[in-house]
Amino acid sequence: MATVSNFDRRWIFLAMGVLVVTLYAAKSKSPAPQLEYVQAYYDTIEALPANSVVMLSADFDPASAAELLPMYQATIHHLMRKDIRIVNVATWPAAPPYTRTEFNRTAPQYGKTYGIDWVELGFLPGDDVAMALIGSSIGSAYSEDARKNEPLETFEIMNSLGDSFEGVDLLITMSAGYPGILEWLAQVGGRYSATILAGTTAVQTSDLYAFYPSQLNGFLGGATAATRYLELVAEQTPELVEARDINQNRIMIQEWAHMLILGLILVGNVLYFMGRGK
Amino acid sequence: MKREIPILLTVLCGLAITWAFFSQAEVSKAVNAELLSWAIIFFSVAFLLGISNLVRISLKQISSGHPDRIYKVVLLISLLGYLGVGIAEIHGLIDPVATGTTDSAGQVVFNDSAYQDWIYFRIYLPLQATMFSLLAFYIASAAFRAFRARSFEALLLLMAGAIVMLGQVPLGDTLTFDLASRWQDFLMKYINAAGQRAIIMGAAFGTLATGLRIVLGIERSYLSE
Repeated sequence: MATVSNFDRRWIFLAMGVLVVTLYAAKSKSPAPQLEYVQAYYDTIEALPANSVVMLSADFDPASAAELLPMYQATIHHLMRKDIRIVNVATWPAAPPYTRTEFNRTAPQYGKTYGIDWVELGFLPGDDVAMALIGSSIGSAYSEDARKNEPLETFEIMNSLGDSFEGVDLLITMSAGYPGILEWLAQVGGRYSATILAGTTAVQTSDLYAFYPSQLNGFLGGATAATRYLELVAEQTPELVEARDINQNRIMIQEWAHMLILGLILVGNVLYFMGRGK
Repeated sequence: MKREIPILLTVLCGLAITWAFFSQAEVSKAVNAELLSWAIIFFSVAFLLGISNLVRISLKQISSGHPDRIYKVVLLISLLGYLGVGIAEIHGLIDPVATGTTDSAGQVVFNDSAYQDWIYFRIYLPLQATMFSLLAFYIASAAFRAFRARSFEALLLLMAGAIVMLGQVPLGDTLTFDLASRWQDFLMKYINAAGQRAIIMGAAFGTLATGLRIVLGIERSYLSE
């Protein structure tokens, strides 16, 4: 009789592989559930008046892109649709190629001009020290932008923002770990009374409940929240309908993968107790 | 003097940063920004030290015929190759304008690092995505082999995990008549948040105490004492 210890785990790999590939190929979709903290994230951006300045920090790399990139894309669309200006920064060195690609793709769709409606300041090394410096003095943190390598004072958006963090109406971080949302909260959140939103991986989400809603106004935790946010934004943003559909397909895959894992836990425990009984 | 000067510097920098935290004076802000800028310069120099150390150890292992030497060769080629492409693009040795980003009128807006981006999107990105997606397979296998209700505490953990997994997806709610997401919400909002807050507060007081010990020169482990 099969036991847990002698069961060939390649069958589990095969089952998971077949499940994921089949559901991906079937393109069946599942809408995401309504989530309070996603609605709070959406409502916070909706409440911003036009021409507000948002600092959007990319604190992730390709390993977390499956969860965070859809949130990042939807957030840029949401902000640009509402004519909110964006200062794009990164504390992870592998983030800028992603962010650059997304801005290159999205900004022309809304007729946004570089330097006026958005600016890319790029990667700053130093982890939480970098965040503290951005909070203390943006001009000390960055002497020039990362796209044209020109001084910050040549950009209209930076002149209207000024040097201190008080000019930033909202900070949004797409955070995959350290440094990320927890460091932004510690270095900038309390000190400058900043309004903060975060998009995080599902693994990191449990850390954020402790800060919501007093220090953290809303958050997107994992693929389910990303899909729910895409559903909300796509209602008024036709450009995101395709991305929403892709993510709804991912939710379908995720829910059946969860069921498979729960089934495996159940079978594993039954086999364990049967073996112990003998 | 080898001990006194580092301790003096630590005390002065610590006091200056603490002062800037509470003071609204322009001079304190300027000192704070200056010290943080220095810290970032040190951080950047640490990258160079890290690279030189990595190259030194890898070369040593290659020359000594270490069993992993082929991986060290790949590592060095990747490291130096990407660095070389980046430096060449920065100094215009490779023309990035030819692949620059254009606006709707066809005007070149940005001169992107086209070759670096090619390596990033065609090699680095698929490699990282592949590594991370393997987790799905290993988590499934690990759940089957290791997630056991061996004790009451383990049973509680297992049940909490199952509720969160069910509550995270719409199918979980369908199977439990909308109970899974409510239970998950309760677990995350109250049990998890309360525990997290206690841990965060404890860690914060610990950090504060350690920081004070360093600033006052009591804690000297950073001097290898």
